[in-house]
Amino acid sequence: MINKSNTFKFPHTKERLLNSIGNFFNEIANLTGFAGRFFKELFKPGFEFNEFLKQSYLIGCKSIALVGITGFIMGLVLTIQSRPTLVQFGAESWLPAMVSVSIIREIGPVITALICAGKVGSGIGAELASMKVTEQIDAMEVTGMNPFRYLVVTRIMAATLMLPLLVILSDVIALYGSFIGVNLQGDVSFHLFFTQVIEKISFMDLLPAFFKTFFFGFAIGLIGCYKGYNSDKGTEGVGKSANSAVVYASLLVFIIDMMAVQITSLFI
Amino acid sequence: MKNNSGNKIKLGVFVFVSMALFIAGIYFIGNRQQLFNSTFEISGVFSDVNGLKAGNNIRLVGINIGTIESIEILSDSSVRVNMTISDDTRKFIKKDAIALIGSEGLMGNKVISIMPGSSTSKTIENDDIIKTAVPPGMDDIMLKVNTTADNAIVISDQLAEILIKVNSGEGTIGRLLQDTTIAENINQTIINLKRSSKGLDENMEAAKHNILLKGYFKGKKKDAERKKKEEAEKVSDDNP
Repeated sequence: MINKSNTFKFPHTKERLLNSIGNFFNEIANLTGFAGRFFKELFKPGFEFNEFLKQSYLIGCKSIALVGITGFIMGLVLTIQSRPTLVQFGAESWLPAMVSVSIIREIGPVITALICAGKVGSGIGAELASMKVTEQIDAMEVTGMNPFRYLVVTRIMAATLMLPLLVILSDVIALYGSFIGVNLQGDVSFHLFFTQVIEKISFMDLLPAFFKTFFFGFAIGLIGCYKGYNSDKGTEGVGKSANSAVVYASLLVFIIDMMAVQITSLFI
Repeated sequence: MKNNSGNKIKLGVFVFVSMALFIAGIYFIGNRQQLFNSTFEISGVFSDVNGLKAGNNIRLVGINIGTIESIEILSDSSVRVNMTISDDTRKFIKKDAIALIGSEGLMGNKVISIMPGSSTSKTIENDDIIKTAVPPGMDDIMLKVNTTADNAIVISDQLAEILIKVNSGEGTIGRLLQDTTIAENINQTIINLKRSSKGLDENMEAAKHNILLKGYFKGKKKDAERKKKEEAEKVSDDNP
């Protein structure tokens, strides 16, 4: 009896598994093709500069408040949470140095990228998907415009270039939050805090962390555009695109982060 | 159109501020690593660098003045450390200065401290080789502690032997402490002493009544009484 049910269930699961594995690789192939098309279109003459600036404004400037608040809370909370452990070792004076290194190396870039994956990725995904659903993209093609260049290239470029700037702002605001966190229970002058932070941060902390944010931005823009541009027809498609854009962009941010750590550790 | 240009200005401000912050960060970090100051290089040869790394600080009278540029092994017992030092501090470092490897704290990084040298000698030049000295490291201290501990073991062993002997009543101190017959002997001796001193008292009393010595004892008694009287008079004269 048990055997029968097993033989009945097994092919079904196997089929589904094979199917999902096939879908996964299919998706990767499509995404790679999409990225290839992006680079091909990017280096063709006729860059939509005004649309790029508009998207930069929407992605960069419109995210400052969100990123700033997140950064501030991040710095503050990290400082308050780290204090008891350092106090146990009698190393309270290491608080600014430790918190700043973790903010600059890891937490600033990753949290900012995740926030942007949520805000920007879903925004791009939903926008392009609704354009696809309402056949605006097809209409563009009919009128002889290149929708890929106008919609996708500008958005991916804007995301790639704006995210590093947002991360810099977030880092600075997080350090300010950390300064306030240190001063909630202790008394450290801004000058001393600044000196301690600068003393412990080296270029090997700052530059790899800065460069990986370009890849974060690229991943967020690429996934958002890909999911939106290849959305299913129908209203459901919009929600699905926005949702999967956030999920896959966040996942990709973590994967890139892991690779960045591995590559950075080769040089230290 | 107006709104569009306003957005552009906002974007411009955002980009400008972020880039300015980034460049300021680069500048401050670079400044600490002496990238933008004029510097000079010296090197020193150590037999053991105790975990010193490129990028560690160099201190003169407790102030950070430079960083370790690189460390290279010359042979199995000598390591060359190349140091980059800010040019402003060159005048304080003399040719006979000594470089010592120390550490920033119990858990801190290693640092090189430079002892400035005597004021009579010349200022150090670029590419000079500085004298070095190795202060006792943790390993040396542990080695000494180890020797001390070994000695302590020997001492405590011998002490234990002595105490065992004392407890079992061997030797002079042991017999003194453990043997009850000695205490009894001492007790008996004291009883004997008491008895003989009593006998001596009787002898002395007899001597006082002896005709030959009577005069001597009487004269002594009179002298003592006279002295007492004189003293009493003196006291009454002083306090009328």
